[in-house]
Amino acid sequence: MGTIEFVADRLPELWLRTGEHIRLTCVSTAVAILVGIPLGIIASRISSLRGPVMSAVGILQTIPSLAMLAILLALLGRIGAVPAIVALVLYALLPIVRNTLAGLEGVSPEVMEAAQGIGMTDRQRLRIVQLPLAKPVIVAGIRTAAVVGVGIATLSAFIGAGGLGQFINEGLALSHTGLILLGAIPAAILALLVDWSIGAAEWGLRPTRQAERGTFTVKLKPAALSLPLVVVALGVGAYFMGPGGRGGQTAAGTIGIASKNFTEQLILGELMGQLIEARTDLGVERRFNLGGTMICHEAIARGAIEVYAEYTGTGLTAVLKHDVVADPEEALRIVREAYRERFGVEWLEPFGFNNTYTLTVRGDDAQRHGWQKISDLGLTASELRAGFTFEFAERPDGYPGLRDAYGFSFGEMRGLEPALMYEAIARDQVDVICAFATDGRIAAYNLKPLEDDRGFFPPYHAAPIVRAETLREHPELREALAPLAGALDDATMQRLNYEVDEKKRAPADVAREFLVSHDLLRKGE
Amino acid sequence: MIVLDKVCKSFDDGATFAVRSLSLEVAEGETLVLLGSSGCGKTTTLKMINRLIEPTAGTIEVDGRNVLDYDPVELRRSIGYVFQGIGLFPHLTIEENVEIVPRLLGWPSSERRERAHYLLELVGLTPGEFAWRFPDELSGGQQQRVGLARALAADPAYLLMDEPFGALDALTRDTLQQELLSLRQQLEKTIIFVTHDIFEALALADRLAILHAGRLEQVGTNDEVLSSPATGFVRDLFAKPAKQLAAFKEML
Repeated sequence: MGTIEFVADRLPELWLRTGEHIRLTCVSTAVAILVGIPLGIIASRISSLRGPVMSAVGILQTIPSLAMLAILLALLGRIGAVPAIVALVLYALLPIVRNTLAGLEGVSPEVMEAAQGIGMTDRQRLRIVQLPLAKPVIVAGIRTAAVVGVGIATLSAFIGAGGLGQFINEGLALSHTGLILLGAIPAAILALLVDWSIGAAEWGLRPTRQAERGTFTVKLKPAALSLPLVVVALGVGAYFMGPGGRGGQTAAGTIGIASKNFTEQLILGELMGQLIEARTDLGVERRFNLGGTMICHEAIARGAIEVYAEYTGTGLTAVLKHDVVADPEEALRIVREAYRERFGVEWLEPFGFNNTYTLTVRGDDAQRHGWQKISDLGLTASELRAGFTFEFAERPDGYPGLRDAYGFSFGEMRGLEPALMYEAIARDQVDVICAFATDGRIAAYNLKPLEDDRGFFPPYHAAPIVRAETLREHPELREALAPLAGALDDATMQRLNYEVDEKKRAPADVAREFLVSHDLLRKGE
Repeated sequence: MIVLDKVCKSFDDGATFAVRSLSLEVAEGETLVLLGSSGCGKTTTLKMINRLIEPTAGTIEVDGRNVLDYDPVELRRSIGYVFQGIGLFPHLTIEENVEIVPRLLGWPSSERRERAHYLLELVGLTPGEFAWRFPDELSGGQQQRVGLARALAADPAYLLMDEPFGALDALTRDTLQQELLSLRQQLEKTIIFVTHDIFEALALADRLAILHAGRLEQVGTNDEVLSSPATGFVRDLFAKPAKQLAAFKEML
């Protein structure tokens, strides 16, 4: 597909996402201005508050964005635009408060004394002298906040607030460079546009000097002042040109289905969503590409969404902080009980596949050396080059534990991005990787996952998890999702992932094809 | 009339005093010059009159009423103040700077403008040329003329001038002194003028008040002070420039 067709195809969504993006940035910057300038003023007038205020806004800035989103989700109990905007506001506060304070305190003491000495009240002094003199510095702070805001707003997609980050997220999840650029390029243009328009407005605000009076450029000042409004109008326009936006909470009678931000999750989300749409009267709202386990977990625990697919091993170790349990049945039993009690969330029957780590080698190497199991590597391990994800290299259920369990280590170990790992082994740059068992590229690149003969890797069986409350209200959900139980073995899931990852097909199409071929889309039975 | 009675000011809870038991009367229409070296308490005294600083002890009366009984804002608006650092508002035009106090007092804008232009003319700045400029487009001397016009804007009975010409070059200073003298005839203001410059003091004063280390050494007309200095400090104060002047005359 050519670039033009690709963009043309996505144009309505591009408008929507751009509009969402501008809306996120504008609303959050506006709120940050309304909160930040008074905060700066208070900090400048009450010296005992200056330290605490500046530390507070400074600390907010240091909270990693995903952690911020997770915290806000926990506090607000919802996903979508509201927590995203709150996060953006909190990040935007520092430049605005700091510059307000700096601007107010930068007014020369002589001018301040004169203002007092001629008989201005404190308020008049602030309004007539300090604020106008601090204005350029404050506007510079707003400019920084807005430009940085455009950048940070791309992360809003992690919490289901849309924006251009949606493309970036999707592109990253599907290793689709075109999609990444479709989000990143407009976001960069938008950042430049915001920077430029506020810069122009700042120029428009400057007093006109005697020498400039009546010149042509001076006549442009009112126009320059209105430029930021043009960007806002552009956002509003773009928003309405796209298909209706997605709002905060799931509407009544619809089921919010989430997914994490990788291929398999998108396919599972589509499988569940399409089944529910076909077999029940319920509507489905897709909140895909949320930023990882913690966001999905908070979202379902707080009732911001109703359904997503989780893995037993992840629920056990990442959410429940439980030790690794090797027996899949036992692992499922533990998470089922704990989720029911602690979060009011039900684990339905697993899909069947186990997306665990597997040590994986090239197929021809395996054939040549007769490698079947991990233990088979023991003799030659010191001559092998391993390429592992950074996470795997560190996790106790990764390389460190593996070394202990099998009693050997590899001659060389390189840290690699997950997407690069498969490329690296295919191009003979490394010999062993820590593949995900269901990754489509295992088959595509003719790789051989080795059997975990000592049972070291914990089971990661995926299953639909649903809010218990939702199951009570809509018992038909359990029935609608039942056909997926055990329907996807490792090979099937690998094939579906491959269709998306390597053939660049849409997860929705791949899911539909699977459901149709298994005759699962007919309503009722 | 402004009356200071045993005014004291300490900035460190009585450990040291910037002004000690200062008593002074400033008569209607006169120009009183507070003369002294830096740190003698003359600026502090001036600031206490319009309550930029409040006295530690003693009373200051303006028109027979203790300044502490005035609303400080109203008091300041009724007293013109020319600042050492000029302190024009850099974001306001010359015209806006001059009409600031009338604006605070709520005068209608046409009246304000008329007044501002009249005063600019009075201090020697053509309104047509200067009204729309910003302070940084003016020279130091021009800026201080604006400072004077601003102080006069609401037609106050009293004018406090804190080393207004201190930062200007000798020639400009001399011109402005002469202009202030002629203005004084027209305006009939009561002026308290702070300076450390003996010649400036002698040129402008109806009466001189010499301050040293927070104490009043002597107060009187130029003649009284010069002919019969009350303290050794006052005698030395004038003796030195007299000697320099004599030496200078010889060189000529």
